[in-house]
Amino acid sequence: MNRPRLPSRRRFLLEVAGAGGALALGLVWPRPRAARAARASATPALLSPAEWRAAGAALERILPSDSGPGAREAGCLNFLDKSLLHEDAHLAPLVRSGLAGLDAVAAARRPGAVFAVLSPEEQDAVLAGLAGGELPGWPPEPPPRAFFDVLRLEALLGFLCDPRHGGNRDFAGWRRLGYPGPAHAAGGYTPEQMRGTAPIRPIWKRRPGREPAAPAPAGGASGHEG
Amino acid sequence: MEAPFDACVIGTGAGGGVALQELCEAGLSVVALDRGPELGPADFDEDELRVVIRDALFSPEQLETFRRHPGEPAAPGRYNQLAHAVGGAFTRWAGWAWRLREDEFRVLSTEGPVEGAHLADWPLSYRELEPFYERAERDFGVAGVAGANPFETPRRLPSGGAGYPLPPHPVRRGAEVFEQAARRLGRHPFPLPVAINPKPYGGRPRCTWGGACQGFGCPIHAKASTLSVCLPRARATGRLDLRPESRVVELVADASGRVRAARYLDREGREREVRARHFFLAANAIGSAHLLLLSRSARFPEGLANGSGQVGRNLMLHHGATVRVILDEPALGHTGFEAFRALDDFHPSDPKRGFIRGGVIAEVSAFTRQPLVYALHLAGDPRLDRGFGEELMRSLEEYPRALTLGSVLEDLPMEDNRVDLDPEVHDADGIPVPRITRRQHPNDIAMNRWFRERLLELGEACGGSRVFPLRVPGVTWIDEEHPVRGGAHLMGTCRMGTNPERSVVDAFGRAHQVPNLWIVDGSVFPTAAGYNPTLTILALAYRAVDHFLRAMRRLDA
Ligand SMILES: Cc1cc2nc3c(=O)[nH]c(=O)nc-3n(C[C@H](O)[C@H](O)[C@H](O)COP(=O)(O)OP(=O)(O)OC[C@H]3O[C@@H](n4cnc5c(N)ncnc54)[C@H](O)[C@@H]3O)c2cc1C
Ligand code: SF4
Repeated sequence: MNRPRLPSRRRFLLEVAGAGGALALGLVWPRPRAARAARASATPALLSPAEWRAAGAALERILPSDSGPGAREAGCLNFLDKSLLHEDAHLAPLVRSGLAGLDAVAAARRPGAVFAVLSPEEQDAVLAGLAGGELPGWPPEPPPRAFFDVLRLEALLGFLCDPRHGGNRDFAGWRRLGYPGPAHAAGGYTPEQMRGTAPIRPIWKRRPGREPAAPAPAGGASGHEG
Repeated sequence: MEAPFDACVIGTGAGGGVALQELCEAGLSVVALDRGPELGPADFDEDELRVVIRDALFSPEQLETFRRHPGEPAAPGRYNQLAHAVGGAFTRWAGWAWRLREDEFRVLSTEGPVEGAHLADWPLSYRELEPFYERAERDFGVAGVAGANPFETPRRLPSGGAGYPLPPHPVRRGAEVFEQAARRLGRHPFPLPVAINPKPYGGRPRCTWGGACQGFGCPIHAKASTLSVCLPRARATGRLDLRPESRVVELVADASGRVRAARYLDREGREREVRARHFFLAANAIGSAHLLLLSRSARFPEGLANGSGQVGRNLMLHHGATVRVILDEPALGHTGFEAFRALDDFHPSDPKRGFIRGGVIAEVSAFTRQPLVYALHLAGDPRLDRGFGEELMRSLEEYPRALTLGSVLEDLPMEDNRVDLDPEVHDADGIPVPRITRRQHPNDIAMNRWFRERLLELGEACGGSRVFPLRVPGVTWIDEEHPVRGGAHLMGTCRMGTNPERSVVDAFGRAHQVPNLWIVDGSVFPTAAGYNPTLTILALAYRAVDHFLRAMRRLDA
């Protein structure tokens, strides 16, 4: 059934501040879907030009493209922008102040510099400082590790989500991992495919609606002894 | 005013599903209330971000609070894996369908008292439950091989029967590797029994082994659930009045101490009441305790049926150690369903290990069936000291070769591990949210550590390039600081027992203090056992309804 749900009494009154554990689970409340927004536009909808630039540079160091598709190819920046506007809006203040922090650290290293113009090595050093929880020149807020965790979480969500959410463009993330895509809608897998004795056709090689991941199940197949 | 129904079922997960099916088929008029909408196969896609990571399909409004110690403030969040939808968490389960072992019904007398733990015997034996296990296996279609697990309690086979109604499934590569490794170590792996169709059964098609199974609804009903088994049967009788998006906020007791009506909020938020002669509560170990505690009256000032003060206490969630192996070949964890092979060699209790009780081990796809759940659970990988850049990429690229060995381990009941009403945090309906207070007993922590070592040995025996424990605190790794804060296996909180001063319901699930109230979900478990709970929830629900119907017929006669 697909009855529309009445949102009125079903929306939380409570905004929950992102505590560590909750963040790890990608805690969210129902909101208009970021998916639509991400499809509609690949230009910033929430982030300022400066934030957009800093976020793009950081995402490309978290998931680099040096040896295969990374954040850039998958469109992680666009995903982040729309996610912070919608499903993960509760994380936006933390991310935005963290992005300002990145530029502040860059300026402290080199007057007039922003994070995006640092060399990849310098950028990596800044990210390592965040991950380690300590970074000279970092503002009092947000906590560096919390910012790093959120940025990496959003990077991975954008890299590996179903492309309908605006990330994982052209299946860039799935290709990099070697995940062939959802299979149920394409008929599932055969016993031979489960055992690795028959190949699996990934979604980017399937023709939509015509070619299943597995040959159509032979109707009423009997139980195979495992 | 609407005439009273014969029976009202609250919550339509595993226990509620059996109750509404059996009551309707026995000829009673039944109203079933569930707080969530009725979803169906058309809603069940594999969008991992939406369905699992953000949990926006099954329980978008879930809110709970958590703290470790009484007296501490509790932090709001989503801790338990729930489904507020018709069919409950049973829709998205992994299908593992165990009978408990004989000794698991007698933990107190087998082990003796343990400090800090609230051990108890179940008020019934394995043999008393066995006929109902059999019915559950038949109705829900369990696939397995009787006797393949040398550590299970030998079953009395129905005459001419093969033990399980369905043969085992074909196996995925990772499970084969695990099975061979286990045999090399002298262990006894066997096909894990699942309520999933290896061939058409019960009017439902065979499974297509599509991978995204646990956590998702089955798009073809090959997985047994309330939606695929109980609702069609109950509806066929014409006696079911199912009311989705109907959140029960109080069970209203009359002066004689019987429940008269369920007061609920409909989908527009209007308050309504439905009357019935008998009430079957199955809102799970969190929801049922929560509802009883909300239902205060002059006669039950501490909550309905709570004269013992035990409602909400002894909350058990299981725990599990988890180990990652990177093979030299594809493990194919994104195919099939959650698990194909298990071993039970470490299940029997042995105090010489430094702890009592035990649990079951299996090759699982919990962290490999899809890419996000894999990528977000890399913590513990010793290579990931920075956790970004090329290092992260290399770990991500190991995805196809990643094998996971997991375990389901018994946690001991503790009286202070409980759910009650949060005094400060209210939900959108203005109702106090469930507050969870929970620590981990030292026995659990010792067991978790010991099983981690056994899993590492098994992992080494699987071969491959790297083996390491997954270190996700409170999930795959527990210690004093990081108890399991929420789970998928919700047990305890309305324990069954013979003594009304120390338990909430009797051996049939009937509330000691409320003669027309039965509780038929995981909340009645006195101890947690080292197996997933659902087949036992189903069997107990069959037994409760069977007993109720017999008593009713005796009265009528
Ligand atoms: C991802 C996952 C995998 C699992 N895999 C397995 C497995 O392999 N094997 C196994 O044995 N178990 C498994 N489980 C556990 C299994 O799903 C549960 O044991 C089972 O569903 C519990 O049944 P229940 O009847 O106690 O409650 P639930 O299934 O939780 O149902 C409770 C119902 O009550 C409703 N409800 C709650 N409060 C109210 C209210 N106030 N008013 C009206 N309705 C209300 C809810 O909406 C829900 O529908 C798994 C669980 C999860 C989440
Ligand atoms: S793996 Fe089988 S049971 Fe699970 S969702 Fe797919 S078809 Fe259904």
